[in-house]
Amino acid sequence: MDAPGPLGQVEVFQALRQLHMTIFSQSISPCGKFLAAGNNYGQIAIFSLSAALSSEAKEESKKPVVTFQAHDGAVYSMTSTDRHLLSAGDGEVKAWLWADILKKGCKELWRRQPPYRTSLEVPEINALLLVPKENALILAGGDCQLHTMDLETGTFTRALRGHTDYIHCLALRERSPEVLSGGEDGAVRLWDLRTAKEVQTIEVYKHEECSRPQNGRWIGCLATDSDWMVCGGGPALTLWHLRSSTPTTVFPMWAPQRHVTFYQDLILSAGQGPCANHWQLSGELKAQVPSSSPGLLSLSLNQQPAAPECKVLTAAGNSCRVDVFTNLGYRAFSLSF
Amino acid sequence: MSSESSKKRKPKVIRSDGAPSEGKRSRSDAEQEGKYYSEEAEVDLRDPGRDYELYKYTCQELQRLMAEIQDLKSRGGKDAAVEIEDRRIQSCVHFMTLKKLNRLAHIRLKKGRDQTHEAKQKVDAYHLQLQNLLYEVMHLQKEITKCLEFKSKHEEIDLVSLEEFYKEAPPDISKAEVTMGDPHQQTLARLDWELEQRKRLAEKYRDSLSNKEQILKEIEVKKEYLSSLQPRLNSIMQASLPVQEYLSMPFDQAHKQYETARHLPPPLYVLFVQATAYGQACDKTLSVAIEGSVDEAKALFKPPEDSQDDESDSDAEEEQTSKRRRPTLGVQLDDKRKEMLKRHPLSVVLALRCKDDSVLQLTFYYLMNLNIVTVKAKVTTAMELITPISAGDLLSPDSVLSCLYPGDHGKKTPNAANQYQFDKVGILTFRDYVLELGHPYLWVQKLSGLHFPKEQPQHTVIADHSLSASHMEATMKLLKARVQSRLALHKQFASLEHGIVPVSSDCQYLYPAKVVSRLVKWVTIAPEDHMELHFTKDLVEAGLAGDHNLYYLALVERGTAKLQAAVVVNPGYPSIPPIFQLCLNWKGEKTNSNDDNIRAMESEVNVCYKELCGPRPGHQLLTNQLQRLCVLLDVYLETESHDDSVEGPREFPQEKMCLRLFRGPTRMKPFKYNHPQGFFSHR
Repeated sequence: MDAPGPLGQVEVFQALRQLHMTIFSQSISPCGKFLAAGNNYGQIAIFSLSAALSSEAKEESKKPVVTFQAHDGAVYSMTSTDRHLLSAGDGEVKAWLWADILKKGCKELWRRQPPYRTSLEVPEINALLLVPKENALILAGGDCQLHTMDLETGTFTRALRGHTDYIHCLALRERSPEVLSGGEDGAVRLWDLRTAKEVQTIEVYKHEECSRPQNGRWIGCLATDSDWMVCGGGPALTLWHLRSSTPTTVFPMWAPQRHVTFYQDLILSAGQGPCANHWQLSGELKAQVPSSSPGLLSLSLNQQPAAPECKVLTAAGNSCRVDVFTNLGYRAFSLSF
Repeated sequence: MSSESSKKRKPKVIRSDGAPSEGKRSRSDAEQEGKYYSEEAEVDLRDPGRDYELYKYTCQELQRLMAEIQDLKSRGGKDAAVEIEDRRIQSCVHFMTLKKLNRLAHIRLKKGRDQTHEAKQKVDAYHLQLQNLLYEVMHLQKEITKCLEFKSKHEEIDLVSLEEFYKEAPPDISKAEVTMGDPHQQTLARLDWELEQRKRLAEKYRDSLSNKEQILKEIEVKKEYLSSLQPRLNSIMQASLPVQEYLSMPFDQAHKQYETARHLPPPLYVLFVQATAYGQACDKTLSVAIEGSVDEAKALFKPPEDSQDDESDSDAEEEQTSKRRRPTLGVQLDDKRKEMLKRHPLSVVLALRCKDDSVLQLTFYYLMNLNIVTVKAKVTTAMELITPISAGDLLSPDSVLSCLYPGDHGKKTPNAANQYQFDKVGILTFRDYVLELGHPYLWVQKLSGLHFPKEQPQHTVIADHSLSASHMEATMKLLKARVQSRLALHKQFASLEHGIVPVSSDCQYLYPAKVVSRLVKWVTIAPEDHMELHFTKDLVEAGLAGDHNLYYLALVERGTAKLQAAVVVNPGYPSIPPIFQLCLNWKGEKTNSNDDNIRAMESEVNVCYKELCGPRPGHQLLTNQLQRLCVLLDVYLETESHDDSVEGPREFPQEKMCLRLFRGPTRMKPFKYNHPQGFFSHR
């Protein structure tokens, strides 16, 4: 089998980079038409969902509209406000203006680094969470703390300590408002934002129904629906009733899950294994939709009201591709870095 | 005549009753001129009208008389006779009158005729004169026109222009005063001058002819002298050979080479010239030679008449033989193929000597009918190499020059026109003949000045020196680099097969002091086997594993953990890095599709290869990658989180110094080694 064209040094290197690319995070633009994806090389690519979904979509529509180097390290987490794209990776969070982002040579609007205790190694930021009511941003990651940042002023207001190992994921419980955090230490902690105190701790690995010691105890993903919480990772994917801290349903998925979210009456999860899983609340697997990556790290549902035609589920992970599921049941096509 | 007739009649008249006397006439003519009676004169006097009346009257009288006589005679009687006599006499008189009148009439007639005749004569004379004159006029006119049309020869001569003439001609010829006014004189003068000039030039011509003769003679003499020199020079050259060798300036050799070079086909000639030039100017380690039979090369260009004769003879012979025994179609086709793939008898041999005294010998052949140049390569080392099993393909003539430039496999002919020729003789691909004929790499064509543009196939491609010169230096450098990298790999493979990863001292800083994992196996595998490995699928899909690559399988072990690595080495090593795909067998099988850390390890070796290149020219890349792989395996095994549910100690206690064990959503292990602090961290 002959290579498609003469592969010089540059082409081989490019191909290798693509082969070893991991997309960690995704974020939908406020208008709903664009998808931002961040990878392990620190690049952010903006894809035009509306172009890729339109009827005249060509191969170029599946390529990014613009790609730029956002961070020195990987972009582990991204989120969007109504005007900004916030990206975080190696220790700092940067903000980009969505309106400007499509222009070449876009510069970050601002960057902030939370006050870290250690200086030997810059801890990574694994999760970003927006708290709209307080116009605040919560960062959590390698230094085992949750930092709150006021988006208006850019100052770091609080640092919530409690985790003994680094934090993987965050979720917002809107009613209270409380923040849930899951970490490498195997515990899901609930924090009250107003009092800045840890309210509840659930040590998932201690529960026999869901613990899987051979995988480890780390909590990789969290999602909450006020009274309920679903989390997964080393332990099995489990649905918890928060008030009683009891696991109600254990989802029979062997592979550690990396991302989980509530959607309508379903729970969507993805993780190791090349598929996105649709679970019913009862614990039954409704559908397992294959994807093009051997493992998935993030799922993103485009529910922006401004672009109902772009309402798709996108999944990305251990490859340079972002799978687009137009109908949640199957993979329509893939966008590629 | 008139006078004669008049003279005749004259005597008749005069001697009307007597006999004319002829003899006296002439005398009497002269005597009687004034005397005799001339009836001619009388005629002029008488009036013809009256004579006519007289005649009529006389005839009437005669008739009357006759009638009277008639009467009388019929009446008869005596007096009748007298009256008749009387009347007879009267009638006689009348008859006389009539006769006279007749004579007069005749005379008148004659006169009239004479007059007419005379007039006519006159008219005739005038007419004649007129004719003569007219004729003369015509003649003269003709003459005049002839004269007018006369082109003098002098008008055909291109005379010098007037100004020049006046400038150049000496005054005694040009005679300006006379000639200016008179064009005739002017022309004459000009003609004179022309004649002068021509005479002078004829002189000059004769002089130069004689000069030329002289010079020719001199040349002859000198030629003879030179030809006598030739044997002397030859003997001097022979004598100088040992001196040349002593001074190592092999002029003679070079001269001989140039002699043979003249018989090279154009592409090989370009190659020869450019390579020699490059070797002399830039690279003393390059030596160029020509091999092959010059006589055969000369025989290729037999004069056409001989070959035509031969052809007709051979045609006749062929017919005869074909009647006896028809060669099979296959044999015919085979012959045609052989004919098509025929090589020119001369070939150019380039020998590149590398720093370690290994020599890359390239033999370039020219395929005449296909108009391409092929090359056969041979690597010889200063010392005998024991080839490790896995290094079989490294220096093999078939693949050592593969992909010198990206994509240049040398399996297909670069000349698009050859495909049609192949179709005629049933050759499917050139690949089958490559071993025998050599590889038609694109850079070989470029070095020979042959350019085969893909977009616009040209009819005849002619060897071009500038194309060759522009590619010579780059190609030579690449060739040397290729040989040296292959030799380096050769040596490294020998070591790898013994389980030792040779890491040079200047690359030791990349690794911690203690590396526990060991390389236990290093083998070469076939491309098909590589494709069948389950953990290499995405590499194959990405198009990075083609036929032209070299494939190896390495096995790294530590304790119960076995790490298999499929290595793809591109022919362009080390500028194109080898690619590793891993499969770890320890507590289950982990590959890049189910374990993020395996993926990270691959990334460490494949993507971050630049720091592993080592000192230029980067021959350490593969061994450094292997060593790093061992270190990565160490880290992986030692940092694996201990499973609390399982009893027993950890198989691999953590010995590496790490700041953090896991980082990021994918819980990456600390694979990056920091020198000189000696701890592991995350990228």
